[in-house]
Amino acid sequence: MSFSINSTGRIIEAYIGEYASGKSEMAINRALDLKNQGRQVTLVDLDTVEPFYTLRTLKKVLEAMGMKVISFAREDSFGLGETGAMLNPKARWALMNEGDIIMDIGYGVQGAKTLNLVEGANESSELKILAVINGTRPMTDSKEKIREYLTELGRVDAIVLNTHLGDETTVEIIKMGNDLIQEVGCEMGIPIAYMAVNEDLHELVPAEKYAMQVKYIKRYMPGAMW
Amino acid sequence: MPRIIGNPKKSFVTGNETAAWACLVAGADMMFGYPITPQNEIMHYWTRLAPKHGRGFLQTEDELSAGFTVCGSVQCGKKAFTATAGPGNVLMQEPFGMAEAMRLPLLAIIQQRGGPSSGTVVYSQQEVTLTTFGGNGEGMRIVYSTASHQEIYDYTIKGFNVAWKYRFPVFILGDGYQAKMREPLEMYDPEDRGIEMIKPYPLIGLEGKISAGREPQHLCNIYSLEEELYEVVMKVAAEYEALEDTIVEYDEKYCNDADIIIVSHGVVSRAADDAVKALRAQGIKAGYFRPITLRPYPRKQLRAAIAKSGAKKLLIAESAYGQLDRLTKQEIFGENVKIENLFKPGVGIIDYDIISKVKSVL
Repeated sequence: MSFSINSTGRIIEAYIGEYASGKSEMAINRALDLKNQGRQVTLVDLDTVEPFYTLRTLKKVLEAMGMKVISFAREDSFGLGETGAMLNPKARWALMNEGDIIMDIGYGVQGAKTLNLVEGANESSELKILAVINGTRPMTDSKEKIREYLTELGRVDAIVLNTHLGDETTVEIIKMGNDLIQEVGCEMGIPIAYMAVNEDLHELVPAEKYAMQVKYIKRYMPGAMW
Repeated sequence: MPRIIGNPKKSFVTGNETAAWACLVAGADMMFGYPITPQNEIMHYWTRLAPKHGRGFLQTEDELSAGFTVCGSVQCGKKAFTATAGPGNVLMQEPFGMAEAMRLPLLAIIQQRGGPSSGTVVYSQQEVTLTTFGGNGEGMRIVYSTASHQEIYDYTIKGFNVAWKYRFPVFILGDGYQAKMREPLEMYDPEDRGIEMIKPYPLIGLEGKISAGREPQHLCNIYSLEEELYEVVMKVAAEYEALEDTIVEYDEKYCNDADIIIVSHGVVSRAADDAVKALRAQGIKAGYFRPITLRPYPRKQLRAAIAKSGAKKLLIAESAYGQLDRLTKQEIFGENVKIENLFKPGVGIIDYDIISKVKSVL
C-alpha cells in the first residue's frame, strides 16, 4: 500500500504564531468551515511541549460536530505527566490522513519549528504555513516588531490578520492593527490569506468593504477551561 | 527610568506575558529562573524583552539556585525576581526562608499547578499553605493572590515597591489558568499613574566605616545561640504585625445583609462574584469576601463582615482540599459561624458549582 502526500485538490494548512495570537481559534474555525463545505477534515493539535492546554478540553465538542480531531484526551494522557517534548504519533503521521488537514502548531514562536517533526511536511507541495497575527499583542503592535517577528518565524506562506481585543474589540482596533500588519506583509512580499473577524462584528465589518477575503469566526477557545 | 509603554494602551495577552511586562516596567534588573510549567512563558517573554531594555537573565541549574541567586542579587542592590510553580515552589522555600531571615526584598511570581509532588502542569490553588507559611520560619512574607491579568500587572508593580520599602519577601500568587488565559490588559508605565518606583539599593558593601559613621549590616540567616535567634524572630514578628494594617487588602461585596458569605481567592473569586450576583437575582442573600493578601490575612475585615451581615454561614470555595479553609479558620477563630466548604483540588470552579453548593446548604 502506498500513501501519497501530494494527493490532488486537498487543503493542508499549518497555523503558526506566538502564544495567544489566535492559532487554535483560526484552525478550529477553518476546519469547521471546510467540514461544512462537505469536505473531509482532520484537525491536528501539535503542541509537543504543553499538550494539555490547547485543544484538549474542546476535543469532544468538536468531535460531536463531526470533525476528526488528533489531540490528547484524558484517556490518552494517563501516565505521561510532564515528560518533556512529546509527539503524538497520530500527529506525526497526520499528513497521511485522507482529506484536508488543518494543523494548530502550538507553543509560540519556537513551536513553528516542530512542524519539521510531521512526516512529509518538508516535501509537501500542498502545505501552506499561515502566520496568525494580532496587532494588539505587545510583541506585534508596531511595524518594526511585526517585521522582526515574521523574520523569526522562518517560512511563512501567508498571513492571517487577526487583530482583536477579546470582548473589547472595536472596528478601530481591528483597523489599526491590521493596517500595520498589511503594510509589513506588503513590504516583505508575504500575501494576506484572509482577515478574521468575530461573527458578532459582522455588520460593523462588512466583507464587501475589503479587498481581501473576510472570514467571520466564532470563538471556541473561551470554552476551553484553562 | 525611560518610559517603556508610552501612551497606555490595551493589549490582548496571557497572564505569564503580563507578569514579564510588569517586571519590566517596574524596573526589574534581573530574573533568575528555572523552567517549570505553567510559569515558563514568564521566562520566555522576559528573555525576549530583557536584552532590548538592558536587563539580565540567568537560567540557573535548579530552583534552589534560582532562589539563592535572587537573594544574592538583591543584596548587591539589583531589583531581582524569580518565578516558579509546584515542586519548584517547594525547592525555593529554602531561599525564601533566607529572604525572611535576612529581610531581603525578593519578589517571586508563583503560578500554582496541581499537587502533591509534580501533580499536574495545569492548575490548582494548592500552593496556598506553601506560599504563605512555607519554610522553617514564621511566614513573615507578603502574599498577593491575583484574579485577573490587570491584577497580575498592578500587584507585580506594587509588589516590588512593597518588597523594597518594607524588606519582606513578596509573592504574586497566580495559577495555571491565569498564566495561560488570554484577556485584555491595560499596560502603563508606573510613573504615568503617579507610582514612584523605589530605587533598589545595596545591602552590602555600604559606604562609610563600621563604628565610624555607620552600624554594621547584620544580614544573618544563622545565629550561634537560641537567645540571639529569639530576639531577632520576635523583633521581625513585631515589625510584621505592625505593618499588617498597611499591607492588608481585600474585596467585599453584598455583605451588609448576607445570610451566607462566600470566601474565595484568586481566579475562583471571579466565579464567586458571578455566583453571588446570580444568587441575589434569585432572592438569595449571598455575600462575597475575597482576601487579596493571603498573608497578612484580612482577618479584621472578615470578622467585621460576619458581624455586620449577621451571616450564619461561610462557604469557603477553593481549588484545593482546604488550604484557604485552614488559613481562614485560624484567622477568624472564635467567630460563631458555620463553615461550609467547596473543595475541588486541582480542578477549576465555575459559578454553577458555587450556586449549587449554596443552595444545598441554605
